[in-house]
Amino acid sequence: MADILLIEPDRILTRIYCAYLRERGHIVTAAFGAQAAVQELDMHKPDVVVLEMQLAGHNGIEFLYELRSYPDWQDIPVVLHTMVLLESLKLSADLLRAMGVTQYLYKPATLLHHLEEVVNEVVVPRNSYNARGLVKPRLVEHTDALRPAQT
Amino acid sequence: MSAFEYAPQERLLRALAEQLKLPLVQIARQSELGPASQPVLSSIGYTADMAIRLIDSYLLSVQVQGQAVFDLEPVSVASMLQDVAHQLSPLAADYRLDLQLSLGGSYAPVMANRYSLESAYTMLGYAMIEAQASNERRQLVLLGAHRRAGGVVAGVFAEHEGLTADIFRRARALYGHARQPMTAAASSAGAGIFVADTLLHAMNAPLRVAHHHKMAGLAATLLPSQQLQII
Repeated sequence: MADILLIEPDRILTRIYCAYLRERGHIVTAAFGAQAAVQELDMHKPDVVVLEMQLAGHNGIEFLYELRSYPDWQDIPVVLHTMVLLESLKLSADLLRAMGVTQYLYKPATLLHHLEEVVNEVVVPRNSYNARGLVKPRLVEHTDALRPAQT
Repeated sequence: MSAFEYAPQERLLRALAEQLKLPLVQIARQSELGPASQPVLSSIGYTADMAIRLIDSYLLSVQVQGQAVFDLEPVSVASMLQDVAHQLSPLAADYRLDLQLSLGGSYAPVMANRYSLESAYTMLGYAMIEAQASNERRQLVLLGAHRRAGGVVAGVFAEHEGLTADIFRRARALYGHARQPMTAAASSAGAGIFVADTLLHAMNAPLRVAHHHKMAGLAATLLPSQQLQII
Protein backbone atom coordinates (compact mmCIF):
# COMPACT_ATOMS: atom_id res chain seq x y z
CA MET A 1 0.00 0.00 0.00
CA ALA A 2 1.38 3.40 -0.99
CA ASP A 3 0.63 6.98 -0.09
CA ILE A 4 0.52 8.68 -3.46
CA LEU A 5 0.44 12.32 -4.46
CA LEU A 6 -1.07 12.33 -7.93
CA ILE A 7 -0.41 15.51 -9.90
CA GLU A 8 -2.78 15.29 -12.86
CA PRO A 9 -4.49 18.27 -14.52
CA ASP A 10 -7.33 16.34 -16.13
CA ARG A 11 -10.19 15.72 -13.72
CA ILE A 12 -11.58 12.73 -15.57
CA LEU A 13 -8.24 10.96 -15.59
CA THR A 14 -7.76 11.96 -11.94
CA ARG A 15 -11.06 10.31 -11.07
CA ILE A 16 -10.07 7.16 -12.96
CA TYR A 17 -6.63 6.83 -11.41
CA CYS A 18 -7.90 7.62 -7.92
CA ALA A 19 -10.73 5.08 -8.21
CA TYR A 20 -8.40 2.36 -9.44
CA LEU A 21 -5.61 2.94 -6.94
CA ARG A 22 -7.88 3.46 -3.91
CA GLU A 23 -9.77 0.28 -4.74
CA ARG A 24 -6.45 -1.48 -4.39
CA GLY A 25 -5.74 -0.04 -0.97
CA HIS A 26 -3.55 2.93 -1.79
CA ILE A 27 -3.98 6.36 -0.29
CA VAL A 28 -4.23 8.89 -3.09
CA THR A 29 -4.16 12.67 -2.80
CA ALA A 30 -4.87 14.49 -6.02
CA ALA A 31 -3.51 17.87 -7.06
CA PHE A 32 -4.41 19.50 -10.35
CA GLY A 33 -1.35 21.70 -10.58
CA ALA A 34 2.13 22.38 -9.25
CA GLN A 35 1.05 24.97 -6.73
CA ALA A 36 -1.68 22.74 -5.29
CA ALA A 37 0.83 19.90 -5.14
CA VAL A 38 3.27 21.98 -3.09
CA GLN A 39 0.46 22.91 -0.71
CA GLU A 40 -0.40 19.22 -0.29
CA LEU A 41 3.26 18.39 0.34
CA ASP A 42 3.37 21.07 3.05
CA MET A 43 0.58 19.26 4.86
CA HIS A 44 1.50 15.69 4.20
CA LYS A 45 4.56 13.85 2.87
CA PRO A 46 3.66 11.07 0.44
CA ASP A 47 5.58 7.90 -0.38
CA VAL A 48 5.68 8.75 -4.06
CA VAL A 49 4.71 11.52 -6.45
CA VAL A 50 3.09 10.59 -9.77
CA LEU A 51 3.61 13.60 -12.00
CA GLU A 52 2.24 14.80 -15.34
CA MET A 53 4.69 17.20 -16.99
CA GLN A 54 2.07 19.16 -18.89
CA LEU A 55 0.42 21.26 -16.19
CA ALA A 56 -1.38 24.58 -16.33
CA GLY A 57 0.68 27.40 -14.88
CA HIS A 58 3.95 26.00 -13.53
CA ASN A 59 4.95 22.89 -15.47
CA GLY A 60 6.30 19.60 -14.21
CA ILE A 61 9.94 20.64 -14.53
CA GLU A 62 9.38 23.70 -12.38
CA PHE A 63 7.60 21.54 -9.85
CA LEU A 64 10.54 19.12 -9.76
CA TYR A 65 12.99 21.93 -9.10
CA GLU A 66 10.71 23.21 -6.33
CA LEU A 67 10.36 19.73 -4.87
CA ARG A 68 14.13 19.19 -4.76
CA SER A 69 14.81 22.56 -3.23
CA TYR A 70 13.42 21.42 0.12
CA PRO A 71 15.58 19.10 2.27
CA ASP A 72 12.54 17.30 3.67
CA TRP A 73 11.38 16.28 0.19
CA GLN A 74 14.70 15.09 -1.25
CA ASP A 75 13.91 11.43 -0.79
CA ILE A 76 10.42 11.36 -2.31
CA PRO A 77 10.59 9.30 -5.51
CA VAL A 78 8.87 10.72 -8.57
CA VAL A 79 7.22 8.71 -11.30
CA LEU A 80 6.75 10.71 -14.47
CA HIS A 81 3.38 9.68 -15.88
CA THR A 82 2.97 12.03 -18.79
CA MET A 83 1.42 12.68 -22.19
CA VAL A 84 4.82 13.88 -23.39
CA LEU A 85 7.02 11.37 -25.18
CA LEU A 86 10.42 10.95 -23.56
CA GLU A 87 12.13 12.03 -26.78
CA SER A 88 10.06 15.22 -26.79
CA LEU A 89 11.00 16.10 -23.23
CA LYS A 90 14.48 16.99 -24.48
CA LEU A 91 15.87 16.21 -21.06
CA SER A 92 18.63 13.70 -20.57
CA ALA A 93 18.07 10.61 -18.49
CA ASP A 94 20.87 11.83 -16.20
CA LEU A 95 19.12 15.13 -15.55
CA LEU A 96 15.82 13.43 -14.85
CA ARG A 97 17.54 10.99 -12.54
CA ALA A 98 19.30 13.86 -10.81
CA MET A 99 15.88 15.40 -10.18
CA GLY A 100 14.78 12.21 -8.52
CA VAL A 101 12.70 10.79 -11.34
CA THR A 102 12.86 7.06 -10.91
CA GLN A 103 10.56 5.96 -13.70
CA TYR A 104 9.10 7.40 -16.87
CA LEU A 105 5.71 6.25 -18.12
CA TYR A 106 4.11 7.40 -21.35
CA LYS A 107 0.56 7.90 -20.17
CA PRO A 108 -1.33 6.90 -23.35
CA ALA A 109 0.49 3.58 -23.40
CA THR A 110 0.35 2.81 -19.68
CA LEU A 111 -2.40 0.56 -18.44
CA LEU A 112 -3.80 1.15 -14.96
CA HIS A 113 -2.35 -2.02 -13.48
CA HIS A 114 1.05 -1.14 -14.85
CA LEU A 115 0.96 2.26 -13.18
CA GLU A 116 0.20 0.52 -9.92
CA GLU A 117 3.04 -1.97 -10.43
CA VAL A 118 5.50 0.85 -10.99
CA VAL A 119 4.27 2.73 -7.93
CA ASN A 120 4.69 -0.41 -5.84
CA GLU A 121 8.21 -0.88 -7.20
CA VAL A 122 9.44 2.59 -6.33
CA VAL A 123 7.75 3.05 -2.98
CA VAL A 124 9.77 2.35 0.12
CA PRO A 125 8.22 -0.49 2.11
CA ARG A 126 6.78 0.93 5.33
CA ASN A 127 8.83 -1.50 7.44
CA SER A 128 12.13 -0.66 5.76
CA TYR A 129 14.53 1.45 7.92
CA ASN A 130 18.23 2.27 7.87
CA ALA A 131 20.49 2.15 10.95
CA ARG A 132 19.23 5.45 12.31
CA GLY A 133 15.64 4.31 12.08
CA LEU A 134 14.84 6.58 9.14
CA VAL A 135 13.13 5.39 6.00
CA LYS A 136 15.70 4.97 3.23
CA PRO A 137 14.36 5.38 -0.31
CA ARG A 138 14.79 2.41 -2.65
CA LEU A 139 15.34 4.15 -5.93
CA VAL A 140 15.30 2.38 -9.23
CA GLU A 141 18.53 3.75 -10.63
CA HIS A 142 19.09 2.30 -14.04
CA THR A 143 18.80 3.84 -17.48
CA ASP A 144 15.97 1.57 -18.54
CA ALA A 145 13.81 3.15 -15.88
CA LEU A 146 13.75 6.31 -17.94
CA ARG A 147 12.60 4.69 -21.18
CA PRO A 148 8.90 4.30 -21.92
CA ALA A 149 7.94 1.17 -20.08
CA GLN A 150 6.54 -1.65 -22.17
CA THR A 151 2.88 -2.28 -21.47
CA MET B 1 11.45 21.93 -39.22
CA SER B 2 10.34 24.35 -36.51
CA ALA B 3 6.71 24.76 -35.57
CA PHE B 4 6.59 28.13 -37.29
CA GLU B 5 7.43 26.66 -40.68
CA TYR B 6 4.23 24.61 -40.86
CA ALA B 7 1.28 25.94 -42.84
CA PRO B 8 -1.66 27.11 -40.67
CA GLN B 9 -3.75 24.05 -41.55
CA GLU B 10 -0.89 21.73 -40.69
CA ARG B 11 -0.38 23.47 -37.37
CA LEU B 12 -4.08 23.20 -36.62
CA LEU B 13 -4.04 19.52 -37.54
CA ARG B 14 -1.05 18.90 -35.29
CA ALA B 15 -2.75 20.72 -32.42
CA LEU B 16 -5.92 18.72 -33.04
CA ALA B 17 -3.96 15.48 -33.12
CA GLU B 18 -2.33 16.24 -29.78
CA GLN B 19 -5.67 17.21 -28.29
CA LEU B 20 -7.41 14.04 -29.50
CA LYS B 21 -5.06 11.92 -27.43
CA LEU B 22 -6.64 13.09 -24.21
CA PRO B 23 -10.22 11.87 -24.77
CA LEU B 24 -8.86 8.64 -26.20
CA VAL B 25 -6.74 8.06 -23.10
CA GLN B 26 -9.83 8.79 -21.00
CA ILE B 27 -11.82 6.22 -22.95
CA ALA B 28 -9.06 3.62 -22.80
CA ARG B 29 -8.48 3.99 -19.06
CA GLN B 30 -12.20 4.12 -18.24
CA SER B 31 -12.65 0.85 -20.08
CA GLU B 32 -10.17 -0.71 -17.66
CA LEU B 33 -12.32 0.18 -14.67
CA GLY B 34 -15.06 -2.20 -15.70
CA PRO B 35 -15.07 -5.88 -14.75
CA ALA B 36 -12.53 -8.00 -16.61
CA SER B 37 -15.30 -10.37 -17.60
CA GLN B 38 -16.74 -7.85 -20.03
CA PRO B 39 -14.88 -8.33 -23.33
CA VAL B 40 -16.60 -5.32 -24.86
CA LEU B 41 -14.70 -3.09 -22.44
CA SER B 42 -11.39 -4.64 -23.48
CA SER B 43 -12.35 -4.04 -27.09
CA ILE B 44 -13.02 -0.39 -26.32
CA GLY B 45 -9.60 -0.15 -24.70
CA TYR B 46 -7.75 -1.72 -27.67
CA THR B 47 -9.59 0.48 -30.13
CA ALA B 48 -8.75 3.63 -28.22
CA ASP B 49 -5.13 2.55 -27.73
CA MET B 50 -4.71 1.90 -31.44
CA ALA B 51 -6.22 5.28 -32.27
CA ILE B 52 -3.72 6.89 -29.92
CA ARG B 53 -0.94 4.99 -31.70
CA LEU B 54 -2.22 6.28 -35.05
CA ILE B 55 -2.14 9.85 -33.79
CA ASP B 56 1.35 9.44 -32.35
CA SER B 57 2.55 7.87 -35.60
CA TYR B 58 1.03 10.73 -37.60
CA LEU B 59 2.77 13.30 -35.38
CA LEU B 60 6.01 11.39 -35.77
CA SER B 61 5.60 11.30 -39.55
CA VAL B 62 5.17 15.09 -39.61
CA GLN B 63 8.24 15.48 -37.45
CA VAL B 64 10.46 13.20 -39.55
CA GLN B 65 9.54 14.98 -42.75
CA GLY B 66 11.31 18.05 -41.48
CA GLN B 67 14.37 16.23 -40.21
CA ALA B 68 17.55 16.11 -42.26
CA VAL B 69 19.11 13.50 -39.99
CA PHE B 70 17.49 10.43 -38.54
CA ASP B 71 18.72 8.62 -35.45
CA LEU B 72 19.56 5.16 -36.76
CA GLU B 73 20.37 1.97 -34.88
CA PRO B 74 20.66 -1.73 -35.74
CA VAL B 75 17.18 -3.21 -35.68
CA SER B 76 16.27 -6.85 -35.87
CA VAL B 77 13.45 -7.14 -38.38
CA ALA B 78 12.24 -10.37 -36.83
CA SER B 79 12.15 -8.90 -33.34
CA MET B 80 10.42 -5.76 -34.57
CA LEU B 81 7.73 -7.71 -36.44
CA GLN B 82 7.17 -9.90 -33.38
CA ASP B 83 6.58 -6.80 -31.26
CA VAL B 84 4.20 -5.46 -33.89
CA ALA B 85 2.32 -8.77 -33.97
CA HIS B 86 2.01 -8.64 -30.20
CA GLN B 87 0.49 -5.17 -30.38
CA LEU B 88 -1.89 -6.04 -33.19
CA SER B 89 -3.08 -9.41 -31.85
CA PRO B 90 -5.92 -8.05 -29.70
CA LEU B 91 -7.14 -5.93 -32.59
CA ALA B 92 -7.02 -8.84 -35.02
CA ALA B 93 -8.98 -10.95 -32.55
CA ASP B 94 -11.55 -8.19 -32.25
CA TYR B 95 -11.93 -8.10 -36.01
CA ARG B 96 -12.08 -11.92 -36.08
CA LEU B 97 -9.00 -12.22 -38.26
CA ASP B 98 -6.06 -14.58 -38.02
CA LEU B 99 -2.80 -12.73 -37.61
CA GLN B 100 0.36 -14.69 -38.31
CA LEU B 101 4.08 -14.10 -38.51
CA SER B 102 6.03 -15.47 -41.43
CA LEU B 103 9.71 -14.75 -41.08
CA GLY B 104 11.36 -17.49 -43.16
CA GLY B 105 14.73 -17.50 -41.47
CA SER B 106 17.01 -15.01 -39.79
CA TYR B 107 18.13 -11.69 -41.15
CA ALA B 108 21.00 -9.35 -40.48
CA PRO B 109 20.04 -6.24 -38.54
CA VAL B 110 18.95 -3.27 -40.61
CA MET B 111 19.94 0.29 -39.84
CA ALA B 112 16.73 2.12 -39.01
CA ASN B 113 15.03 4.24 -36.41
CA ARG B 114 13.46 1.54 -34.28
CA TYR B 115 10.57 3.60 -32.96
CA SER B 116 9.65 4.88 -36.44
CA LEU B 117 9.98 1.43 -37.99
CA GLU B 118 7.79 -0.19 -35.37
CA SER B 119 5.23 2.64 -35.61
CA ALA B 120 5.15 2.27 -39.40
CA TYR B 121 4.51 -1.47 -39.35
CA THR B 122 1.97 -1.19 -36.55
CA MET B 123 0.02 1.40 -38.50
CA LEU B 124 0.33 -0.62 -41.70
CA GLY B 125 -0.94 -3.69 -39.89
CA TYR B 126 -3.78 -1.72 -38.32
CA ALA B 127 -4.91 -0.41 -41.70
CA MET B 128 -4.65 -3.82 -43.36
CA ILE B 129 -6.60 -5.52 -40.55
CA GLU B 130 -9.30 -2.91 -40.84
CA ALA B 131 -9.37 -3.33 -44.63
CA GLN B 132 -9.80 -7.10 -44.38
CA ALA B 133 -12.65 -6.88 -41.93
CA SER B 134 -15.09 -5.94 -44.68
CA ASN B 135 -14.86 -9.46 -46.09
CA GLU B 136 -17.43 -11.90 -44.80
CA ARG B 137 -15.26 -14.98 -44.35
CA ARG B 138 -12.51 -15.17 -41.75
CA GLN B 139 -9.38 -13.69 -43.23
CA LEU B 140 -5.67 -14.14 -42.68
CA VAL B 141 -3.29 -11.21 -42.25
CA LEU B 142 0.39 -11.99 -42.41
CA LEU B 143 3.34 -10.04 -41.06
CA GLY B 144 5.98 -11.36 -43.36
CA ALA B 145 9.61 -10.95 -44.28
CA HIS B 146 11.72 -12.54 -46.96
CA ARG B 147 15.04 -11.89 -48.66
CA ARG B 148 15.35 -10.20 -52.00
CA ALA B 149 18.41 -8.97 -53.82
CA GLY B 150 19.79 -6.13 -51.76
CA GLY B 151 17.62 -6.34 -48.76
CA VAL B 152 14.87 -7.70 -46.56
CA VAL B 153 11.35 -7.23 -47.81
CA ALA B 154 9.12 -6.81 -44.78
CA GLY B 155 5.46 -6.03 -44.96
CA VAL B 156 1.86 -6.85 -44.21
CA PHE B 157 0.04 -9.21 -46.54
CA ALA B 158 -3.52 -10.41 -46.78
CA GLU B 159 -5.86 -12.69 -48.65
CA HIS B 160 -7.56 -10.11 -50.71
CA GLU B 161 -7.65 -9.13 -54.30
CA GLY B 162 -7.70 -5.64 -55.55
CA LEU B 163 -4.40 -4.26 -54.35
CA THR B 164 -2.15 -3.56 -57.29
CA ALA B 165 0.78 -1.26 -57.86
CA ASP B 166 -1.40 0.98 -60.00
CA ILE B 167 -4.09 1.27 -57.33
CA PHE B 168 -1.49 2.10 -54.70
CA ARG B 169 0.15 4.71 -56.92
CA ARG B 170 -3.21 6.39 -57.44
CA ALA B 171 -4.00 6.15 -53.74
CA ARG B 172 -0.80 8.01 -52.90
CA ALA B 173 -2.03 10.88 -55.07
CA LEU B 174 -5.56 10.77 -53.65
CA TYR B 175 -5.16 10.51 -49.88
CA GLY B 176 -6.18 13.68 -48.10
CA HIS B 177 -8.31 14.59 -51.13
CA ALA B 178 -10.57 11.56 -51.41
CA ARG B 179 -12.43 9.97 -48.52
CA GLN B 180 -11.53 6.53 -49.89
CA PRO B 181 -8.26 6.68 -51.78
CA MET B 182 -8.17 2.87 -52.29
CA THR B 183 -11.78 1.82 -52.80
CA ALA B 184 -10.75 -1.45 -54.44
CA ALA B 185 -8.84 -2.51 -51.36
CA ALA B 186 -10.21 -0.66 -48.36
CA SER B 187 -13.45 0.96 -47.28
CA SER B 188 -11.84 3.55 -45.01
CA ALA B 189 -9.39 6.39 -45.56
CA GLY B 190 -6.53 3.99 -44.86
CA ALA B 191 -4.57 6.72 -43.13
CA GLY B 192 -2.38 4.18 -41.37
CA ILE B 193 -0.96 3.11 -44.72
CA PHE B 194 0.06 6.63 -45.67
CA VAL B 195 1.46 7.38 -42.24
CA ALA B 196 3.53 4.20 -42.55
CA ASP B 197 4.59 5.21 -46.05
CA THR B 198 5.77 8.61 -44.83
CA LEU B 199 7.76 7.09 -41.97
CA LEU B 200 9.35 4.45 -44.19
CA HIS B 201 10.02 6.96 -46.95
CA ALA B 202 12.02 9.01 -44.45
CA MET B 203 14.21 5.92 -44.02
CA ASN B 204 14.56 5.52 -47.81
CA ALA B 205 12.31 2.49 -47.78
CA PRO B 206 8.96 3.53 -49.25
CA LEU B 207 6.09 1.10 -49.38
CA ARG B 208 5.28 -0.78 -52.54
CA VAL B 209 2.94 -3.58 -53.49
CA ALA B 210 4.63 -6.93 -52.88
CA HIS B 211 3.80 -10.58 -52.53
CA HIS B 212 4.58 -13.11 -49.82
CA HIS B 213 3.42 -16.73 -49.99
CA LYS B 214 1.02 -15.83 -52.79
CA MET B 215 -0.56 -13.10 -50.69
CA ALA B 216 -0.51 -9.49 -51.81
CA GLY B 217 0.26 -6.64 -49.54
CA LEU B 218 2.41 -3.61 -48.89
CA ALA B 219 6.05 -3.93 -47.97
CA ALA B 220 9.30 -2.03 -47.71
CA THR B 221 12.78 -3.18 -48.64
CA LEU B 222 15.05 -2.69 -45.65
CA LEU B 223 18.79 -2.73 -46.16
CA PRO B 224 20.93 -4.78 -43.78
CA SER B 225 23.84 -2.94 -42.23
CA GLN B 226 27.01 -3.79 -44.15
CA GLN B 227 29.17 -2.85 -41.16
CA LEU B 228 27.29 -5.14 -38.82
CA GLN B 229 27.61 -8.01 -41.28
CA ILE B 230 31.38 -7.67 -41.18
CA ILE B 231 31.44 -7.85 -37.37
